[in-house]
Amino acid sequence: MATVLNQYVRNVFDTAAAVFEGMAVTCSHFVRTPSTIQYPDRTDVRVQDTLPYRYRGILEVDLEICTGCLACERACPIDCIVIDAKKDKATKQMMLNRFDIDIAKCMYCGLCSEPCPTGSIHHTPEFEGADYSLESMLRRFVKEPVAAYKPKKVEDDPKIAPILERGMKYLDEFAAAGDEIEAEAEA
Amino acid sequence: MSIAGFEVEVDRGGGLETEEMTLNMGPQHPSTHGVLRFVVKADGEVMRRAIPDVGYLHRSIEKISEKVGWHGFMPYTDRVDYVAAMFCNQGWGMVTEKLADIEVPKRGEYCRVIAAELNRISSHLLSIGTMILDIGAITPFFHAFREREKINDLLEELCGARLTYNYMRIGGVAWDLPPGYEESVLAFLSQLEPMLDEFNTLVSDNTLFRGRCAKVATISAEQAISYNLVGPNLRASGVRYDVRRDEPYSVYPELEFDVPIGLGMAGEVGDSFDRYWVRFVEIKESMKILRQCFRQIPAGPVVAKVPRKLKPQEGDAQIRIESARGDMSWYAVSDGSEFPYRCKVRTGSFAAMSIIEELSPGLMLADLVTVIASLDIVAPEVDR
Ligand code: SF4
Ligand code: SF4
Repeated sequence: MATVLNQYVRNVFDTAAAVFEGMAVTCSHFVRTPSTIQYPDRTDVRVQDTLPYRYRGILEVDLEICTGCLACERACPIDCIVIDAKKDKATKQMMLNRFDIDIAKCMYCGLCSEPCPTGSIHHTPEFEGADYSLESMLRRFVKEPVAAYKPKKVEDDPKIAPILERGMKYLDEFAAAGDEIEAEAEA
Repeated sequence: MSIAGFEVEVDRGGGLETEEMTLNMGPQHPSTHGVLRFVVKADGEVMRRAIPDVGYLHRSIEKISEKVGWHGFMPYTDRVDYVAAMFCNQGWGMVTEKLADIEVPKRGEYCRVIAAELNRISSHLLSIGTMILDIGAITPFFHAFREREKINDLLEELCGARLTYNYMRIGGVAWDLPPGYEESVLAFLSQLEPMLDEFNTLVSDNTLFRGRCAKVATISAEQAISYNLVGPNLRASGVRYDVRRDEPYSVYPELEFDVPIGLGMAGEVGDSFDRYWVRFVEIKESMKILRQCFRQIPAGPVVAKVPRKLKPQEGDAQIRIESARGDMSWYAVSDGSEFPYRCKVRTGSFAAMSIIEELSPGLMLADLVTVIASLDIVAPEVDR
């Protein structure tokens, strides 16, 4: 009887001690810096601006520097990019008639931005893509047919140069190493 | 017996009348970590049998591989086990490299190991955090997730996504470590250490938690082997087996680490507490591996030159890696075309699922939750 009682008292004591120890750790967090943030409206800077450079958010295309090479369309495993690029017979220029990305289908894998030669198609840090209808998730980048970009040795157009610079910086980070041989094979 | 039917067997053998009830647990039960369903036959609070019913999260991932090509399948492998996607990436990479005879550069291998071990820590943190949550303690869960969040930030910096990494490529990894990565990882590791000690005080040494897990659903070594358990679940039963050590791949032979096994600290070898504890110790081992990796990583390219239109020669290949949930094997068949002919993944959760029926008789109903959590079952990995 005495041992049973002893055990009982010891159990009660152990349990109380365990609770006390746990509470001591928990209470010590009252005086530490909180690790939660109040998303979305009570952060010092927009969350998008704090994301690392490699963050893969919603895709964006800079049509000014798109060459119409279709590499991105081919790389996408789920065909959410649709490009219609045709050579204009009269002007002998590659014309982009359509460049759609279905954001609803896209899984932000980044396979499309890797083979792009100019960094035209790229991920932005935007991630808040919720919308009310599926149709509005289809991003149409070509409003009216535009001429595709022709790479030059030195870009002198002051309008395009900064865009190309951004694209090249993006490529430095993202281009896949396999592309060099691919380019050689095509040449 | 029909699985979906609710039969009631009435025991009329004198004394108090008891009925055996057939209960449905899941598929939307919060403690089943995804969509799992159990048909539980219970007599009062005591289970007679719990029959797992899998298939609610089947997404035909293996079939998809036949349609999207060798390179294009990489982002899909993230979805095989979304808690530890790096291992699936690595598995697909390795099996294709074996088929196509591609050698991964040294630095690429180290990048892979760094990413995978970070992922292992985060997966184990999630596992032990949710295990404690399922048992009924809420606070430690937030402690584990706070640390996991920091790993998510680190991996986001490395590969641009927090869960579906798509970091590895056939022939290596997509991107080199970003500048200053070593410092940020080492800083994280050195602050994780005191946090783990705190976690120990809060959970591992807690009498209540020990009492709750001790001797619950003990799996003996023979049972574990015959049910094909792998990874931490197998090691908790006292079998020292780790693919990283016993069938080394990647750069693991160059790294030094221990393979922890269950010691029966709270009760018996192979009980729920041991499964928790093995994961906890593995976090520390992974930290050790990470530190060594940063000391040894050589300079050089991170990815081999692989043609964009990859056509491995005809044949099949199989590889095994140690994922966070144990031995994961990848099998692929190539018919020499741009698309895989067949791909098959064998995962640890599926084996862990099968032992639940064996363990359940005689356990309390509330223990089923402990068993699922301590076996670290991730539903999408079961079904794929
Ligand atoms: S991110 Fe992936 S899914 Fe989205 S468009 Fe690019 S390749 Fe396709
Ligand atoms: S976005 Fe880039 S890859 Fe796609 S068509 Fe234009 S230049 Fe080619």
